[in-house]
Amino acid sequence: MSSKPAFKVLGKDTPRQDGVAKVTGREIFASDMAFPNMLYGRILKSPYAHAKVKSMDVSKAEAMGAVTLTPGEIPDIKYCPRLVSVPSSTYKDWKVLAEKGHYVGEPIGAVAAESEEEAQRALESIEVDYEVLGASFDAFDSMKLGADLIHEQIYLEDDLIDVKNNIGCQLEITEGDPASLEAADYVIERTYRTNRRYHNQLETKSVLVRPEPDGGVSIWSTTQTIHNTRLLIHDIYGIPMGKIRVYKVALGGSFGSSIHVNPPVTVAVGLALKSRRPVKLCYTREEDIRDHCAYQIIFKLKLGAFKDGTLAGGQMEAYLDIGAHQIQAYPLLGCVVGWWVSLYRLPYKEYVGKAVYTNKVPCCAFRGYGNPQTTWVVETMMDELAGMIGVDPLDFRLKNFIGEGELFWGQGPTVKSIIRSCGVEEILTKGAEMVDWYNRLKPEEQTGRYRKGWGVGRGFHTSSAGAPVPSSIIDFGGAMLKMNEDGTFDYVSALMDHGCGTQDAHAKIIAEELCVPVDKVNIIRADTGTTVYDVCTHASRGVYSGGGAALKVAGKVKEQIREFAGRILDAYPHAVRIRYDEARGQAVVYAEGIEGREVTYRDVAETARQKNWGTAASVESYRQPSCPPHFTGYFVDVEVDTWTGKVKLLRVVAGADIGTVINPKLAAGQVHGGFAQGWGMTVLEDTPYDPESGDLMNGGSVANYKVPTTCDLLDLEDLTVFFADTYEPTGPFGAKGLGEGALNPVAGAIANAIQSALGVRFFQLPITPIRILEALKEKEG
Amino acid sequence: MYVNKVNTHILPIEFEYHAPKSLDETVELLEKYGEDAHVLAGGTDLLPHMKQRRVEPKHIVNIKGIPELACIKEIPEGIHIGALAKLRAIELSPLINEKLPLLSEAARSVGSIQIRNLGTIGGNICNASPSADMATPLMAVDAKVHVYSKSGEKNYPIVEFFHGRGEVRLEQGELVTGFTVPHLPEGAGSAFEKIGWTTLDIATVNVAAVVSLKDGKIDHCSIALGACSPAPIRGVLAEEILRGREPSAEAMDEAVELIATCVEPRERWRRAPPEYRQRTSKALARDAVTRAVEAARR
Repeated sequence: MSSKPAFKVLGKDTPRQDGVAKVTGREIFASDMAFPNMLYGRILKSPYAHAKVKSMDVSKAEAMGAVTLTPGEIPDIKYCPRLVSVPSSTYKDWKVLAEKGHYVGEPIGAVAAESEEEAQRALESIEVDYEVLGASFDAFDSMKLGADLIHEQIYLEDDLIDVKNNIGCQLEITEGDPASLEAADYVIERTYRTNRRYHNQLETKSVLVRPEPDGGVSIWSTTQTIHNTRLLIHDIYGIPMGKIRVYKVALGGSFGSSIHVNPPVTVAVGLALKSRRPVKLCYTREEDIRDHCAYQIIFKLKLGAFKDGTLAGGQMEAYLDIGAHQIQAYPLLGCVVGWWVSLYRLPYKEYVGKAVYTNKVPCCAFRGYGNPQTTWVVETMMDELAGMIGVDPLDFRLKNFIGEGELFWGQGPTVKSIIRSCGVEEILTKGAEMVDWYNRLKPEEQTGRYRKGWGVGRGFHTSSAGAPVPSSIIDFGGAMLKMNEDGTFDYVSALMDHGCGTQDAHAKIIAEELCVPVDKVNIIRADTGTTVYDVCTHASRGVYSGGGAALKVAGKVKEQIREFAGRILDAYPHAVRIRYDEARGQAVVYAEGIEGREVTYRDVAETARQKNWGTAASVESYRQPSCPPHFTGYFVDVEVDTWTGKVKLLRVVAGADIGTVINPKLAAGQVHGGFAQGWGMTVLEDTPYDPESGDLMNGGSVANYKVPTTCDLLDLEDLTVFFADTYEPTGPFGAKGLGEGALNPVAGAIANAIQSALGVRFFQLPITPIRILEALKEKEG
Repeated sequence: MYVNKVNTHILPIEFEYHAPKSLDETVELLEKYGEDAHVLAGGTDLLPHMKQRRVEPKHIVNIKGIPELACIKEIPEGIHIGALAKLRAIELSPLINEKLPLLSEAARSVGSIQIRNLGTIGGNICNASPSADMATPLMAVDAKVHVYSKSGEKNYPIVEFFHGRGEVRLEQGELVTGFTVPHLPEGAGSAFEKIGWTTLDIATVNVAAVVSLKDGKIDHCSIALGACSPAPIRGVLAEEILRGREPSAEAMDEAVELIATCVEPRERWRRAPPEYRQRTSKALARDAVTRAVEAARR
């Protein structure tokens, strides 16, 4: 149970500072920006899944007045666009413009012209001579002996290494006593195949680059990290860092697709440097869908259990079909095993993970980073195993989950910490009560057209990749805070807000610490030149790590306010107290019990100015001490139409343990969104390939890539969200993350509900109406 | 090369734009430019198709300047709906809701409100998609298509309008001006059923049914199916077997088996395999007829 202090600002619903701009359409995104004399860029893409560019003739495009960019005009550097891991864990196989297309859609050239239409016409005039090579669209085909190598050599840090069997990287881990698994009373072994989902973030990847007179560049781009953008542009183009200014601009959604630096950025910098004019480059939706997707994973999982309902151990093989390039495949291999072994206690675990190249769109992190995939597999098998043992699947989970006081290594084997707050039991028991779990309908009780079923799924995600010791993942941030002369505060940080209200959470943490209402804390948009380093907004670290940095600077500023007020009040700084005075609209620093010995923040700041004491301000870097999991659980009730295969949601109860809840409605919104995305993952989304054209079966059209809308979900009164009563001692005011945990167990819960309705289990995602009818035909004829 | 060409954002092709103010002016342009001309009504299909380079017209003939083409009115023979009537207008029209609820139900199923605010019934039909959501109900109510050309106006049953493979019966210089729906039989009930992967999706299968009852037995019966054959079709055999019978489970079983024999989904349609469309066309036909019977009983 928690020992939460009483909060004044946290836990209350407050409007977002960017709310009005966003709902009135006045927010400016990178794609809205323009500069005088600006050119529009377009990228030439490989039309083949695997083909060498033998020659490229851009003379017609140049005759049309376009500026062109070919591979030879860019520094010959292989890089990894994601700079979150330490160099010794970073594989590099990317170039700004490739001399060989490794997938349909790979950038091989570029143009810039006075309008997007002119740029498009110039692009179409480029003549390329290709040598078409053999392509693979399946990880197991790629690994076959004699298959064409997609990359022959790649770099690991600065070492050139040979690629064998198209395996980009691999990881093996074994822990515990194999005898435990051998002694298991029940064993299940199965193969699972996940889908290849497109993020479908609202804003397609966009950038505006302005070359500066000093030889530098200013960049406004779709990104989750301004500092890593600067690092990469420095690495590729050699521009001194101080001359690269990457500005924060509102992010129109990302879901992990902009953790790495996007190809439009690296290309547009090249075009801007060559043309000496600002260049704007916005992906069309058809380019965006051929730019990134979630990691598709084929799992072989074996789990064993004893008669008493405890797990004996397991073996997992994970084959990552990563597409044509590595973005963060190697760290993911570590995370997949981390996600797996941190769900339930396994006395023995054996893991082999392989990341395999295919001639498909490169995979990158997508909300949950392999965790939704892994949890779907584990939660599906946990249900099946419970049925085999004859225990209720909920009781089986309660008996085996990893909770408080236990070792946790969600972010992989190099990121370990001890769990200090855990709401799993509360989520599962309270949820079960709410849905009357133990009296639910069973599949064998149903016949006829419509069949109903309840399913449960639980999971977690890490809040950041912090730990007591350094790991292979870089994870720290920073913040700046200063008091203004009217007693308000300006908060500056490099941390990007994906649209989740993360920076507003920081403002609330600062407000809580400084005893002011949240509207006294202004969120200032800054750039790489005016902020200290923050690694990236990912790993659900925004509130936990970014909030930790915000709390750290708020504490330092508070000390200075005490110091200044102490001088004014002739009181000891450590003894003065602070309260908020509604009538004056000011926080007041006072010496307790002595009448008249008080001063407002405004007067503190103004006195400090007049007496030349300085500004109460602080700039700090912050590394969080731990990597606390936030836990979630879903109970889902579905109805399956056995004539059409359509699955309808009837009721959902979701529980989340996120420590202190900072903004309840926004937090519930994260759960709603996580559920919606999980629903799409489970029943709808996939990007299969046409082996003949080598392109996506959907032809790049989102009209053929369906995601659920609000109309396809359920009414909010049927989607209950509750928060566990927990407090994370290492988090800012007890807070943890939520973004990814909100999605991770959804597919497992829905898949278990479908199983419970039909008595049929699915081992491939998505579970489409077509697959449901096929499975029913097999079962019932 | 198409990956570098096809998108839904940039329109790099050049064309001449015409905004005629009358029907005669319109058909003259269509006659003059023939296949080089494309009619712009709502633009919800034409513009994406142009950006996707599926069509590259040299002349765009915007007919929105002919307001009489947007009418929805009662005439002695039934109800007339102009080709420019917005799907949203059909969805909300009190006249359509009262007299032809099948059409408002079908219109409501198309895309989003934003799409329906732009898209027109004429465009939906002339686009010649087998899955057009307005085609099936218009077939089920035996609508007539009005076509105007230099030689004057003519009309014919909509069932004769679809040639399949994305083609409709329109000659050079011809323009669809609207649709007339004859009075439905007294007390007729109707229903529209559709399955798509999401609410905003186009139909994987759609079915429209109109039924009237006499002494508890099915009298009039029409069933139209979309997206399960190269063109929208009528389930003639199923209609026949239901006429004169009580809407019993057995009669329905027989009828939907006949539905399954008349649909011809294509293997190359990527959205769903033929077997899925066959099975769901049966399910949806049954649902549509059942709901139409219930409506007729009210």
